[in-house]
Amino acid sequence: MTKNKESESYLPLTPAMFHILLAMADGEKHGYAILKEVSRRTDGKVQLSAGTLYGNLARLESSGMIVESNRRPEFELDDERRRYYRLTDLGREVAVAEARRMEEAVAQAYAKRLFRKPGIA
Amino acid sequence: MAKEKRSASERFFKVLVRVFPFDFQTNYAGEMAGVFREQRREAEESGGVSATVKLWAETIAGIFRVAPREHWEILKQDCAYALRMMAKNRGFTLIAILTLTLGIGANTAIFSVVHSVLLSPLPYRDGQQLIFIRQQAPKIGQDDAGFSVPEINDYRSQNHTLSSLVEYHAMSFTLFGHGDPERVRTGVVSWNYFDTFGVQPILGRTFQPSDEKMGAPAVLLLSYEYWKSSFHGDRTIVGKTFEMNDKPHTVIGVLPPVPQYPVENDVYMPTVACPFRSSKDHIENRDMRMMEVFGRLKPDVSVAQAAADMATISGRLQREYPKSYPAEAGFGTGASSLREELTHGARPTLIVLLAAAGFVLLIACANVANLTLARMARRERELAVRTALGAGRSRLLRQLLTESFILALIGGAAGLLLAYDSLGLLVEFAAKLTPRAHEIRIDMGVLLFTLAAAFGVSIIFGTLSAASTGGDVSSGLKEGSAGAGSGRRRNLVRSVLIVAQIAFSFILLIGAGLMLRSLYHMLQVNPGYVPQRVLAIRLTFNWSKHKTGEEIALGAKQLLDRAQTEPGVNSVAISSTYPLEPELLSYGQSTTTFQVEGHPLATGAETPTANHVSASPDYFKTLGIPLLRGRVFDDRDDQKSLQVVIINDALRRRYFANEDPVGKRITPNDGKDWYTIVGVVGDVREMGLDHTPAIEVYSPVSQSADARVLLARTIVDPRILATRLGKAVHDVDPQIAISHVISLEEARHESLTAPRLTASLLGLFAALALLIAVAGIGGIMALSVSQRIREIGIRMTLGAQPSGILRMIVGQGLVLAVLGVGIGFIGALALTRLLKSLLFEVAPTDAVTFVSVAGMLIAAALIACLVPARRAASIDPTVALRSE
Repeated sequence: MTKNKESESYLPLTPAMFHILLAMADGEKHGYAILKEVSRRTDGKVQLSAGTLYGNLARLESSGMIVESNRRPEFELDDERRRYYRLTDLGREVAVAEARRMEEAVAQAYAKRLFRKPGIA
Repeated sequence: MAKEKRSASERFFKVLVRVFPFDFQTNYAGEMAGVFREQRREAEESGGVSATVKLWAETIAGIFRVAPREHWEILKQDCAYALRMMAKNRGFTLIAILTLTLGIGANTAIFSVVHSVLLSPLPYRDGQQLIFIRQQAPKIGQDDAGFSVPEINDYRSQNHTLSSLVEYHAMSFTLFGHGDPERVRTGVVSWNYFDTFGVQPILGRTFQPSDEKMGAPAVLLLSYEYWKSSFHGDRTIVGKTFEMNDKPHTVIGVLPPVPQYPVENDVYMPTVACPFRSSKDHIENRDMRMMEVFGRLKPDVSVAQAAADMATISGRLQREYPKSYPAEAGFGTGASSLREELTHGARPTLIVLLAAAGFVLLIACANVANLTLARMARRERELAVRTALGAGRSRLLRQLLTESFILALIGGAAGLLLAYDSLGLLVEFAAKLTPRAHEIRIDMGVLLFTLAAAFGVSIIFGTLSAASTGGDVSSGLKEGSAGAGSGRRRNLVRSVLIVAQIAFSFILLIGAGLMLRSLYHMLQVNPGYVPQRVLAIRLTFNWSKHKTGEEIALGAKQLLDRAQTEPGVNSVAISSTYPLEPELLSYGQSTTTFQVEGHPLATGAETPTANHVSASPDYFKTLGIPLLRGRVFDDRDDQKSLQVVIINDALRRRYFANEDPVGKRITPNDGKDWYTIVGVVGDVREMGLDHTPAIEVYSPVSQSADARVLLARTIVDPRILATRLGKAVHDVDPQIAISHVISLEEARHESLTAPRLTASLLGLFAALALLIAVAGIGGIMALSVSQRIREIGIRMTLGAQPSGILRMIVGQGLVLAVLGVGIGFIGALALTRLLKSLLFEVAPTDAVTFVSVAGMLIAAALIACLVPARRAASIDPTVALRSE
């Protein structure tokens, strides 16, 4: 299976999963940080509960899209109970593939003039 | 305060997280708690109580949304893994599934019978309200005296506990207009009989009050079975007329398939249509008792209250009509639930069989657990590797349970098929024990039972195999660890399982052995007559053409003369019944009370009762019943001559111990009529080979006018003559209905169906158990030998002889066998009491059975151990020492 095809086999992602991957795009994060980031970026529209977050993290971890990171913040900022996760190459590819899929869908919506207000042609 | 609150909600959160699979908890529970703590702090700071409540709601919903998915993921992995392992170990899988199929199948089959017969409510509307009312006269041996018409009217009008009270009696009439004259078993019932039972017809209607008015047009209801068998389920049957008792009878409906009690009937008619029941004598005479009575309890009335009510009425009637209820008869009336009445005969047998099937299942469980353990020895390293890779102990347990559940589920499905397949046989078997047999089916309840059995079984053997690995799985990683630690523990568990299997097998074998011995006794017992080469044909004269005693006696005489001329016939007789007649066994024998002349009853003594049989002169010759004194009946005994009887030896021993009874007289009715004893014949087991012969009185057919059976002793196989004799009967009178043509040997065979099937089923279960247990003991010894090859090699190098090794291995196997037999012995002593009511001339603790079963089981175990022992004895020490 080529890399492209492998990443596409995970599509489509659930919105929660996509937002979690997106939240990790700019570096490793711990669970609470991911939750905050998703909430902030969506203006509070996507609120993950602890169960949903870790259910998704478990799924992403077992399919190899994220791993636990060894890099930790500076000592005084660190909480040793926290684990940090980062995207793997696969995780990044899947996120990109999902973004592309959405992009294409949006492009088609434009082509169909979906965003224009309906009126007399 | 804040800290307390925090710890309380944190504890609650931790409890919530428990719904996740164990591995998930290990990985993420701590972090989740951390995240939740932060969320809560934030919610408290920003939004106060409402934000906190919202957070809790979302968190709980999230957990319950995600957790099932996690469990499902793990289940999928475990199932896939289990199926891979099962495919890899085909031999193990096959044997395990086969064992479980037999175990679960046997239980499902027996349970389907128990469920339908003993546990299900009666298939009548509010069946628990139905009762059977019984009038007894125990002092004259009448267990069920029946009711007369005046009595029924009294009980109906005087009771306070019943919403309705209905009567029933069975007759045989001849039905014309449907091919040959046909003898139909007829239930004669009150008009509201079926309404009381809540039975709706599947075609037409049931009876209504106008059908019971004197002079109403005669109507018939057909039973479902009769409609199916005789009319092929003809849906246009309603409105057709047939002739019975010289009157046209119109079919008004067809009943659904419901159990009919006390016996199955072909048709039902209202009381006025029965020529006997509607006669003036029957309607007015309080002493003409022949009806059975059923009732429906008023709401919130118990059976005990109804029974008390009936007893009160009985007492009142006895005071009012002392002549009809002589004190020395001990009349009394009680009530019992109809369900109890329908099923009490089947209960002991079914409970014994269910217990036996349960034992088979336990043995199957122990066997599969043992097989799993043997396999675990080989999987030790695999399990250790998985533990080292981070699989928790509970994760492994879960994996093992999944594997066992899949095995049990497949075994359960196959067992269900097996049970389904054997259903026909079981219904036939149960029909010998209860009228409810036709209700037996595999329904939702049985399916749930099978599923529960499969689930229970998988938990038992899954846990057994997991428990025996102990906590120390990692020892499996060390080199050469096969014999140490968990291995030793496993061998102990295996030995315990083997001992249990042997013990259970022993109990089952004892049960089967006792039943077989009992059956053997029944076959050996002298029935008092010679059943070989005798044919019996049930006859029903058209009553309307043979009204008087003379007419019947004449008809019987003509029949005998004609039948005697058939080639191949040795002797013929006509009688009211014959020994072990199937109908006799379900209806009961007709009886008569009597007193001996010159032997007045002591005050308070019981009036003796004897079975009563009508017989033509050659009856005793035809059946091979020996004449002990006096003479048999002959042509001199007719309606005009002296009234005579013949008694059996049991009666002579009881009432004429020191005198010759021939020439003495007895009376059935306080001296109104006297009968002279002309002969004494041998005792016959009329009512069952396991019943002691009752005292019996024979009257000549020519005087009693009771002719219901033609008997013929033949030179060849009697079945060959059946058609010709039937034709001979119709030559004499084409209006005689013929039914139940059967040889006396067949009748004897049939009377043994229930004990034979019980013995066969128990025998089958016991054989299965023996096979499984003996294979198990052989298997464990083989495994033990292969685990100890090095040790045996060392022993031999140190000078042990092969014969010594052989003795050592066999001895170890025998210790297990003897231990199992010992425990089984105690168990059997405690349990075979359950069998007591089913046994004939065998004590539940019969020494012969106990000793021979013990011997057989130990011998079988010995043979099973010999194979691995010989292998051990033939080990080459040099090779053994190199092996691992």
